[in-house]
Amino acid sequence: MTNSNTTQPETKKTNSSVETTGTLPVARNPLYYAWRRFIANRGAVVAGSILSIIILMAIVAPYITPTSYEEQKFLSENLGFPSWEHWFGVDDLGRDFYARIVYGARISLSIGFIAATFSVFIGLPLGALSGYYGGSVDWFVMRIVEIFSVVPPLMAALLLAALTDGGFLSIVAIAALFGWVQVCLLVRGQVMALRNTEFIRAAKALGGSHQYVIFKHLIPNSISPVIVGFVQAIPLAMMLEAGLSFLGVGIAPPLPSWGQMINIGINFMFFYWHLALFPTLALAITVLSTTLFGDGLRDALDPTLKG
Amino acid sequence: MLGYVIRRLLSICATFTIVSILLFIMMHSIPGGPFDATDMPLSEAAKATIMAKYGLDQPLYIQYLKYMWGVLHFDFGVPFQSPGETVLELLGRAWVPSLVLGGGGVLIGTPLGIMLGILAALNRNTWIDYVASGISTLGLTIPVFVTSMLLILVFAVWLDWLPASGWGEPKKWILPIIAYAAIPTATYARYARSAMLDTLNKPFVMVLRAKGLPERKVIFQHVLRNSAIPMVTVFLPMFIGTATGSIFVEAMFRVPGLGAYFVSSIRTRDYPLEMALILMITVMFCFAFFITDIVYAMLNPKIRLGGKVIK
Repeated sequence: MTNSNTTQPETKKTNSSVETTGTLPVARNPLYYAWRRFIANRGAVVAGSILSIIILMAIVAPYITPTSYEEQKFLSENLGFPSWEHWFGVDDLGRDFYARIVYGARISLSIGFIAATFSVFIGLPLGALSGYYGGSVDWFVMRIVEIFSVVPPLMAALLLAALTDGGFLSIVAIAALFGWVQVCLLVRGQVMALRNTEFIRAAKALGGSHQYVIFKHLIPNSISPVIVGFVQAIPLAMMLEAGLSFLGVGIAPPLPSWGQMINIGINFMFFYWHLALFPTLALAITVLSTTLFGDGLRDALDPTLKG
Repeated sequence: MLGYVIRRLLSICATFTIVSILLFIMMHSIPGGPFDATDMPLSEAAKATIMAKYGLDQPLYIQYLKYMWGVLHFDFGVPFQSPGETVLELLGRAWVPSLVLGGGGVLIGTPLGIMLGILAALNRNTWIDYVASGISTLGLTIPVFVTSMLLILVFAVWLDWLPASGWGEPKKWILPIIAYAAIPTATYARYARSAMLDTLNKPFVMVLRAKGLPERKVIFQHVLRNSAIPMVTVFLPMFIGTATGSIFVEAMFRVPGLGAYFVSSIRTRDYPLEMALILMITVMFCFAFFITDIVYAMLNPKIRLGGKVIK
C-alpha cells in the first residue's frame, strides 16, 4: 500500500512530460481538461467570480463595514433610505443595513458550506457501500433514500426546526439531513459503474480486501461526483436556511440572516422598500451564482452527468 | 404487472408506516405542549383534565396506535387551534385557495414552459434559446419567496397595479399565480428542451427529413409526440410539489391556504394538523410516483415494470 502511494506522483510526472514529445498525442492530467471545459463556460466563470467576491466580502466583513451587524448606532436615522453614508439605508432598529447584508453573507455561506460538508460525510460512505455491495445493503440504503424522496422536505425541515428551536447548528444539521441524498446517489452511480471495470477486478484478484478496494480505488475515483454533489448541496442548504429564517424558525435575531430580513422587510415594504429589496437581491444573487458555478463544475468534471 | 402493483402498494404502506412513526415521535418530542400558555396558565387539575380529554396522558405507543386507527378511518382528530371542527373540515376549507392558486400556476406554467422549451430546442444556440434557458435557470434556482417578494415590490409597491396580499377577489390571485407558475415554467422549459433535442438527434428524424417530409410534420407529428414521454413523468410530482411551495407563497401573499395553516400549526404546536398535512402529502407523493411509473410504462413499450428494465 505504501508502495503504491510513493509511485503515484512519479507516474503523474511522466504523464505530464509526454507533452513535450511533440508528435505523440498529448496526454495530460484529466483535471487540465476539466479546467479547459470550465473556462470555456462563460456563465460559470462569471458566476464563480461573483461567488468568490461574495465569499471574500464575507471573510473581510469587519473591514468593509462601518459598524458591526448589531450596533444600533443610527437610531436617529431610523429607517433611513439609502444614502452616501448608509449604502443600503438604515433598518427599523437603527442598524446600518449594508453591514447587516454583508454579515448575512457570512451566515448564509457558512451554513451552505458546513451543511454541504456534512452531506458529503453522510452521503459518500452510504453511496459507496450501497454501490459496492449491492444486494441487501443497496436495498436498505435505497429504502431510506425513497423515504426522503416522498416526505416533503420543507415541511419536515420546518417541523425539525421548530422541534430544535432553530439556531445555527440545528439548521446545519437539518440541511445536511436533506442534502446527503443527492451526494449518495451520485457516488452510488459512479461506484456501480466502476465496480465491474478491469482495474477493480485486478485489484480484487491481487488480493485487495473490500476495504482496500473501496478506500484506495473506488472513493478516489468518485471524486468528481463528490465535488459536484458538494457544490450542489451548498445552494440547497442556503435556500433552506433562508426559507426557515423567513418563516421565523431559523436563525434568530440579532444574527443577520437574509431570509429573516426579507420577512421583516414585508412589514415595511410599502414605505421603506430598501428593507425588502436588498436582502432579496443578496439572496437571489448568491444562490444563483452558487448554482451556476456548481452546474459549470459538474459539466466540466463529468460531462456525462450533464442534465 | 399485477405483481408489480402489489409490491409497490406494499412498499407504499411500509413507507407510510415508517414516516408516520418517525413523525409521531418527533411531534411528541417538541418541547412544550399545546396547553402550556404562559400568559394565562391553566391550573394543574384543569390541564390534567384537558390532557386526559385529548388522550395526551397515555403512553406514546398507545397514542400512536389510537391515532393510526383513526387515520385509517379518515379521522385525523381535532385541530388544537380551531377545536370547533375536525382536521378534515379545516383542511376542506384550506385547500380551496391553495388549489385555485397552485393549480392556476401549474395550468399556466406547464404549457408556457413546454412552449419555451420547444422554441429553445428549435432555435438552438440563438438568442431565443438563451432567453428561455435564462428563464428556466432563474425559475429553478431562485427560491419562491424571493420571486414573490420581487413581484410584490414591482407590481404592488412601485407600479401599484395589483394588490400585494389577501384572498378573495380574482385581482388578488394574479401575483400568487405568477409566483406559483415560476417552477412549472422553469421545469418544463428545461425538460421540453432536452427531450426535444434528444429526439431531434435520433436517426429516425433524419430518415423522415431525408424522405422529404415537411419540417412542420416532422416536428408536430413525430418529434413532439416522441418527446412527450419524459415530460409526462414530471407532471404529477411537480403538481403535488406546489403544496410545499404553498408554504412560502401563502406566507408572502397572506393567503389562508394549506401552507399558511401548516405554518401556524408549527407555531401553535398543533400536532393533529401537522401530522395530517405531512402524512397526506407524503401519501400523495408516493402515489404520484407510483402512477407516474405506471403511466410511463404504458406510454413507453420499451419499459417493462417489475421484471427486466430495458434501458
